[in-house]
Amino acid sequence: MNSDLSIVLLSLQIAGLAMALVIPLGIATAWLLARRNFRGKFILEAATTLPLALPPVLVGFVLLWATGGNSWPGRAVNSLFGVDIVFTWVAAAIAAAVVAFPLSVRAFTSAIAGVDSRLEVAARGLGAGPLRVFFTITLPLAYRGVLAGVLLGFVRAFSEFGATIVIAGNIPGRTQTVPSAIFTRISTGDDAAVWRLAIVSVVIAIAALGAHNYLLRRSGDESRGASR
Amino acid sequence: MMPEAAGLPTLTGDSEPVLEFDLRVDRADFSLQAAGQFGPGITAVFGPSGAGKSTLLGAIAGSVSPASGHIALFDRMLYSSAHNVNLSPERRRVGFVYQDAALFPHMSVQSNIEYGYRLTPSDRRRLKPNDLADLLAISHLLQRRPAELSGGEKQRVALARTLATSPELLLLDEPMSALDIRLRGIVIGYLRLVHRELAMPMVYVSHSISEVLAIADAAMVLDNGRVTAFDAPRRLLNRVSVGENDASDFAVDNILEGQIVESHTSGAAGKVRIGSALITAPTGHREFGEKVVVAIGSQEIIVATERPSGISARNVLGGAIKSIDGDGPTRIVTVDCGADLMAEVTAAAIVELGLETGKQVYLVVKSSSITVMDAFRDQSATGAR
Repeated sequence: MNSDLSIVLLSLQIAGLAMALVIPLGIATAWLLARRNFRGKFILEAATTLPLALPPVLVGFVLLWATGGNSWPGRAVNSLFGVDIVFTWVAAAIAAAVVAFPLSVRAFTSAIAGVDSRLEVAARGLGAGPLRVFFTITLPLAYRGVLAGVLLGFVRAFSEFGATIVIAGNIPGRTQTVPSAIFTRISTGDDAAVWRLAIVSVVIAIAALGAHNYLLRRSGDESRGASR
Repeated sequence: MMPEAAGLPTLTGDSEPVLEFDLRVDRADFSLQAAGQFGPGITAVFGPSGAGKSTLLGAIAGSVSPASGHIALFDRMLYSSAHNVNLSPERRRVGFVYQDAALFPHMSVQSNIEYGYRLTPSDRRRLKPNDLADLLAISHLLQRRPAELSGGEKQRVALARTLATSPELLLLDEPMSALDIRLRGIVIGYLRLVHRELAMPMVYVSHSISEVLAIADAAMVLDNGRVTAFDAPRRLLNRVSVGENDASDFAVDNILEGQIVESHTSGAAGKVRIGSALITAPTGHREFGEKVVVAIGSQEIIVATERPSGISARNVLGGAIKSIDGDGPTRIVTVDCGADLMAEVTAAAIVELGLETGKQVYLVVKSSSITVMDAFRDQSATGAR
């Protein structure tokens, strides 16, 4: 039981770090997609959606290739901290972030696109620069949709398996997440232990998706109210 | 001013032009080419939908990029293709009031008004949020959210929010189009008040000639991206054929300031003095001496060449014709009967009755077709005018 708890906590920690990466990068990407027109926008659009369409195992392989000991990011981290990223919980978080990113960005983009852009123009006219407009107008008006995207990304990061097992492995106590522990227990035939983790997964998923749907419904109400 | 200024159409009279522009905007299916000098008064930009009015306003505000030309506000260049100048909107010191107010829904009225004020460098702050709230009579609304305001209140808050940035020029993009006629009268009153009290030059975009007549000192007419006229609003009636467009857009309304001189607790019709004219109108429970704004549709006024008798209409006002404007099937006859009233008359009737400038006529107005509204908070009583 105690090891169950530590597995869940490690999974939450990994998903947490993943979302800490996804939130700033994802919101910046979503803002570009929702509010800017630029050459090569479709490339950015395709690149943010790609991890959703590829087998996670392949995503993991690409990440392994990009962060491994022979890649320049891998070498940079090794020379700075004297450690390798691969087969650490940080690597698991990177894998989770990459697969959660497309889902979150999609939700962020529609949340930002739902903000009446005339309000942003009005704020500019009142003397606010683009960054101030974003933090005082766009984000506060989009926050429900953004929060919904964070929850969606979080459940995806929490349940990530394919890319994680390639880049972080399945090391008990170090990189073993809830899904990889379930995998191990299925292969060893320990059904009771599988069910315990399954219940945890279902509870977290239902709580997050319930909150997600509630937020989306509320943000729909709000934008309808604001348009009057 | 700038060397480019030579030869631009101007109506500024003796005063220095406030805004001067000569620009071209190219869009895929539309191009705007306009030049002019606007004075310190209220200048209307008038024309049908799609004429390029909002595009011109956007170019002045900086949200629309011209293809070429220049825009100067006082002695500052806002945009110049020749000098490669294109100030960002927040650096132009141009205030913008939108059609739908565009208040920030997640902030209180007070936060809305203070938003731009806080961003204005303290040495350029001339107008304080509290004074503006007093002037526009919205002090009691400061803690509310925009969703809890009426249309007229929203526009006053939007006006205060923009004025709090102490702009050098105020741009208004059809600020009345979402309001009914009663609220229009009130908001027009506030705009006049703002112009008078704050000496704020304004550019007012509208497709309603009644608004233009009610508020503007000069009017530029745009049609299909070109300037077709630039003149005093009243003279424009000669060039814009009244009745050619949607009748409701072109209904000329008399919006006049007056004072209650007789009222009845029973709620029966009382009397309002407008200029030196006395008009019987539904004054409701307003008290003697109260200031009001009176709106009379120009279509509701009948012109007679002799004093009619034995009629039920309560108002028969005598006066001389000051002008007859318009060249369409419908004309606007302005009669000085103590106050200037505009009546809409068909061209045929003008010929039949032999109406001409200087002729003595009688205006017949049913009291029930007159709307009496609360006056905007007027400070002209203190002597400013």
